[in-house]
Amino acid sequence: MAQVKATPKTYDVVIVGSGAGGGVAAHVLALAGAKICMLEAGDMFDCTKQSKMFEWPYQVPHRGAGTKEKPWGAFDATTLGGWQVPGEPYTLAPGSEWMWWRARMLGGRTNHYGRISLRMGPYDFKPYSRDGKGFDWPITYDDLAPYYDKAEELIGVFGSQEGLENTPDGKFQPAPAPRGYERLIKAASDKLKIPCIPSRLAILTRPLNGRPACHYCAQCGRSCGVNANFNSPGVHIFPAMKTGNLELRTNAMVREVLVGNDGLATGVSYVDKKTRREVEVRGKIVVLAASCCESARLLLNSKSSQFPNGLANSSGLVGRYVMDTVGSAVSGFLPILQDLPPQNEDGVGGMHLYMPWWLYKEQMANKMPFARGYHIEIGGGRSVPNAGTLGGYADRWLGGGYGVELKQNLRKLYGCDVHFSGRGEMIPNEDSYCEIDPHVVDQWGIPVLRFHFKWSQDEILQAKHMQETFKEIIETMGGIVTHSSGQDKDWGIARGGQIIHEVGATKMGDNPKTSVLNQYSQAWDVKNLFITDAAPFVSNADKNPTLTISALGWRTSDYIADQVKKLNLKV
Amino acid sequence: MPDKSGVSRRDLFQIIGSVPAIAAVTGSEAAAATPKAGPYKRQTFDDHQWRTVRVLCDLIIPADERSPGATEAGVPEFLDDWIAFRTEQEGNQNLRAEILGGLMWLDHESQKLSQKDFADASEAQQKQILDRIAYPKRAAKEDQPGASFFSELRILVVGGFFSSKVGVADLPYLGNVAVMEWKGCDPKVWTIIEERMKNGYKGILEAKPWGA
Repeated sequence: MAQVKATPKTYDVVIVGSGAGGGVAAHVLALAGAKICMLEAGDMFDCTKQSKMFEWPYQVPHRGAGTKEKPWGAFDATTLGGWQVPGEPYTLAPGSEWMWWRARMLGGRTNHYGRISLRMGPYDFKPYSRDGKGFDWPITYDDLAPYYDKAEELIGVFGSQEGLENTPDGKFQPAPAPRGYERLIKAASDKLKIPCIPSRLAILTRPLNGRPACHYCAQCGRSCGVNANFNSPGVHIFPAMKTGNLELRTNAMVREVLVGNDGLATGVSYVDKKTRREVEVRGKIVVLAASCCESARLLLNSKSSQFPNGLANSSGLVGRYVMDTVGSAVSGFLPILQDLPPQNEDGVGGMHLYMPWWLYKEQMANKMPFARGYHIEIGGGRSVPNAGTLGGYADRWLGGGYGVELKQNLRKLYGCDVHFSGRGEMIPNEDSYCEIDPHVVDQWGIPVLRFHFKWSQDEILQAKHMQETFKEIIETMGGIVTHSSGQDKDWGIARGGQIIHEVGATKMGDNPKTSVLNQYSQAWDVKNLFITDAAPFVSNADKNPTLTISALGWRTSDYIADQVKKLNLKV
Repeated sequence: MPDKSGVSRRDLFQIIGSVPAIAAVTGSEAAAATPKAGPYKRQTFDDHQWRTVRVLCDLIIPADERSPGATEAGVPEFLDDWIAFRTEQEGNQNLRAEILGGLMWLDHESQKLSQKDFADASEAQQKQILDRIAYPKRAAKEDQPGASFFSELRILVVGGFFSSKVGVADLPYLGNVAVMEWKGCDPKVWTIIEERMKNGYKGILEAKPWGA
């Protein structure tokens, strides 16, 4: 066993993880005056110095194509991580498919994520009451609404006021005007009576707190060199460090939460990846935000005589009810867009329009074969050319060919593609969970997770509805469906984890027997232990999780500050 | 004009100007498959294959009034690198075998036709062979292996060309730049789209009118 080096100082708060959840806790608590130590398992990352913004595929090897090490290409912001992290495996139970994207870097997945920022609606907090499936949250939309306001105002989200059912509006900056193909999709959606409205993304269209507005290069996934989009380091962590209250330690892979004789957390122990030494850091309050499954792993690995099943696990529910988002996609080709005068269709790094779920009433009237909804994300147009651009078009659209005629025809077909992706709600089930694999440790000697995962018919039939709807939209535009999936492929439903929206694993609730955390994401069993990533989620509405992580994390942080003031928690 | 946060649009473009990536954009590097300095070192093709590939690249994407051909755009270098890259990533020789085997198929057919390797035959003789394999549905049964090879090669040459600096300008792709003010779809383009929605459009593929 490596020598354990203890840090003599005791911090007010130790935060594990630096993504959306760790970032918001650090920001709120550092500004409230708490002395904080933040631990990040990856390296330092500063997008203002490391962004690949404006680079061209032809300037880098293999036109920047994805590799095993960089699955989303050379420009992706993720410096270390992806579907596999070297030396940090996970395992799958027989018959289960699960993919787990981890980003080992300051800011975690906020560096490359899609910036989609949707509020959960009133129905989404009480899904069991609505249709008898899954569980209700112990809070309502109204409990979280003020924190959605705060989160949007800090990170900066554009959008529009629409007043649609279960699709709450927010504190939005103005939305960018739609691109040509997006206006066409809206026209088709209007015909089909599917609402198509400005998207809601955490990208600035107006300057905010010293951050400039977007310059519309469409490359948010590379991370933004000027912080015009939300990322945890640029918006939460670096500003929090300016208070002098936040100390950051990178390459710190946390092994376990330490507990005193009184059953309270006393800090954590971590492996310093540079020296491979164990280090202990003491804190009066411990906040986990290591990502939903990593936080569950940490609790399960924090075993002691007092907590033989892992910490905060008297309910036996740590690791249970892991959810991802239902994903299914269809692509098409739109002849109407051939040979148009060229224009710059970059815009922000993501869609300018989207379609929120629109069939709530039909579901309530039992007219739908599945519970819960999805929203539609769109893409297409004249995007930055890479090695795949126009490649198969000669065979697909021109019957082959070569020479000047081929070259001139191909130009006319550029920018005619459209893509539709559904993002839908998964209902938590008993067969989807993570646990410690008793036989495998990672390169730091820490036992790894084993995943169990299963979709139910609700999700598979939702994917079917996605396929049918997207084809209908494409055909309404006079388009040709180029990629779709049928029943033989379960309607193209993505693998569990593949949409990278994993939530749950330490659900909150109002009963210590049926939940791990209370409504403030405070462990029932260990009152100075909190979780601010997506692990406290009780359901996984079709509203991408990051904004709700930010709002919930803020609410938890306010609660911590308030409890400290009331002396219910000692600092 | 500065707003209350003190960042003006002018400041923004100064900030963007200071991003290190911009330096790379303005560099003189043009069309090579990789940005490394010095002459390109082949990893896949031998001298004979290299000569054949260069001829094929310009037969598939020749120069026209808008842009140079595929060889000048650096596509042979892209192909050589891409095949090595895919071979390494996928851990198999499938793509490499298909392309190198296809080049031999071409030489074999060219020898039968003109007693010359493909690269040494006249352009008319080269096109005589390509015409047999460049339109997969029309290809004779015995030419199907050649047609499969040519489709695969054409995918790579087209993708390599339009993602090169020359190809980006050819399309043209007008993005990957800082935009002062985002205005959405150009109204003139939208007018054309609306007109096509109403009346349909007969291009390479037909778009039917939307109807009521």
